[in-house]
Amino acid sequence: MASEDGCGGGNPPGDAAAAPPVWNAAPAAGAGCGDLEEDLRFQCCVCLELLYKPVVIACGHMSCFWCVHNAMHIIRESHCAVCRQPYKHFPSICQLLHHLLIKLEPVEYKRREKEVLEDEKRVDTYSPQIIEFLNSKSNNCEIDGENRPEESNSRPPQEVTSDGNTINGHPKKVKLEDVSCALCKELLYQPAVLNCGHVYCMSCLSSLDDGALKCQVCGGLHPGDFPNVCLDLDHFIEDYFPAEYDLRREKIKLLKGECNQGSSSGTSCTKEGRGRPTNKENRAHQDDDLSDVHIGVGCDSCGMYPIRGKRYKCKDCTELIGFDLCEECYNTESKLPGRFNQHHTPDHRMELDHSALFNRLMRLQGIHEEGPGEIIIEGAFVAPDAVVHIIADDHEEIEDNGEDDHLL
Amino acid sequence: MVDVSRVQKELTECNRDREVSGVSIALHDGSTISHLTGTIAGPQGTPYEGGTFVIDIRLPGGYPFEPPKMQFITKVWHPNISSQNGAICLDILKDQWSPALTLKTALLSLQALLSAPAPDDPQDAVVAQQYLRDYSTFSATARYWTEAFAKNSSTGMEEKVQKLVEMGFPEDMVRSVLKSVNGDENMALEKLCSG
Repeated sequence: MASEDGCGGGNPPGDAAAAPPVWNAAPAAGAGCGDLEEDLRFQCCVCLELLYKPVVIACGHMSCFWCVHNAMHIIRESHCAVCRQPYKHFPSICQLLHHLLIKLEPVEYKRREKEVLEDEKRVDTYSPQIIEFLNSKSNNCEIDGENRPEESNSRPPQEVTSDGNTINGHPKKVKLEDVSCALCKELLYQPAVLNCGHVYCMSCLSSLDDGALKCQVCGGLHPGDFPNVCLDLDHFIEDYFPAEYDLRREKIKLLKGECNQGSSSGTSCTKEGRGRPTNKENRAHQDDDLSDVHIGVGCDSCGMYPIRGKRYKCKDCTELIGFDLCEECYNTESKLPGRFNQHHTPDHRMELDHSALFNRLMRLQGIHEEGPGEIIIEGAFVAPDAVVHIIADDHEEIEDNGEDDHLL
Repeated sequence: MVDVSRVQKELTECNRDREVSGVSIALHDGSTISHLTGTIAGPQGTPYEGGTFVIDIRLPGGYPFEPPKMQFITKVWHPNISSQNGAICLDILKDQWSPALTLKTALLSLQALLSAPAPDDPQDAVVAQQYLRDYSTFSATARYWTEAFAKNSSTGMEEKVQKLVEMGFPEDMVRSVLKSVNGDENMALEKLCSG
């Protein structure tokens, strides 16, 4: 699992180290449809380099794995670097985009891989070494057995199915099936990426949504807001497969028309205003009370960062970053491999961790100076209104502490 | 540790269209990439028009996940900029920073701040009061400060250099120090004396 060359899907045409670090050189050599515009499209807005192991946030904006992780707030909810939309979960790497970039920019992507690996060695914490389409492959095989595109990038162009797969007689680097929906298996139209990193057409996702959004590929529940269209990917597909994209647009328009006629708004195909039914008040209250926050510790299953509430810690994982689960994930069966390439296995022992720093801090305060901590602990005996008030007051103090910690 | 490759990209990107954007960035001295000097052209139609404002930029170790520290070196009369030390009150340089912002966008925001002061959230209370109560005096003062501090005519510069050289400081040092304080003679002298 920890093989260093995890991204074996790549087909590096030369030694990446010898290649110049100019990545618009790659499309020129490989007769893709790369131009300056494309360069910017898959540029990470944080490191300003080619996206590496891209992660797509629910708002549809993306960055590199580490860029998203480093930009996340260690105490409170995070905000998208581009649009500032709040989010609480660190999404998994979008493997579709990962493989797309390997094909589009093989040389530069390889160079980025080396570069990032150097950084990772320095801090002794690793991003997941991508296991080639582990989940979606089995899924694909059910549908059509011959479809194993990820292993052999260098398939002969004869296999190409439609006319849209060539530019000026050269085979396109990206095939239609590389950018197909996990549900309808057709070319992605208005793609949206779930927290688990799997990609669906927005229309397919809308049809799935009945309360809890569950990924059809990996079975993971999508926490947080209903995802937005990943516009960078959408525009890329539209430019790269214009004819096919138009067809899809027509088809979905048709379906939409039917669905609007059929049931007035039962399954409206729009994305607006669709959040998972969450108790807003409850959420707001949670945000105020920081006593149960595990600073800088994320759930290795759903990606909640930082973990709020109970935290379960693996006793047997030896990696620096450790392996942790939030209460909800601890209580469900499916546990993905860790988010940071840990070697966690189901037989590892997990224990409840009581080290929420604020929790301890509050207790200390309570003991030494009859501080607000004690009031909170006793809060349950006070009239409900009063409790809210006290917590709110207290919150300011806590927040100040938090800021200081953060700045240090 | 500052993301060196990102900062280098930012420098190239920012200086590519410096004529159009009116902002540019250079290394403060060649030795470190975490200390930079930015310049912005005073926006047209404001009391700052025609001035060139120099900004000291320091990149914290967490950059770009922490905001850059920016401060005006050129003295400027503006409600959101300290007339004493050039400290800036701008949200994106504090809690509203985002790693998707760059030094260029931050400098452009400063340029926009010069165009559109926010006296309700002042850095310099005196200036802000004046802005609100007596705009014409504010405008005149700001224009005078621009004239006096943000425009370094080359003839005046030569005189200053000569004066300081006559005091016994080496010429190249005088020039570089004068440049770093944007032609402020007294500050240059202070700096030269302090070593």
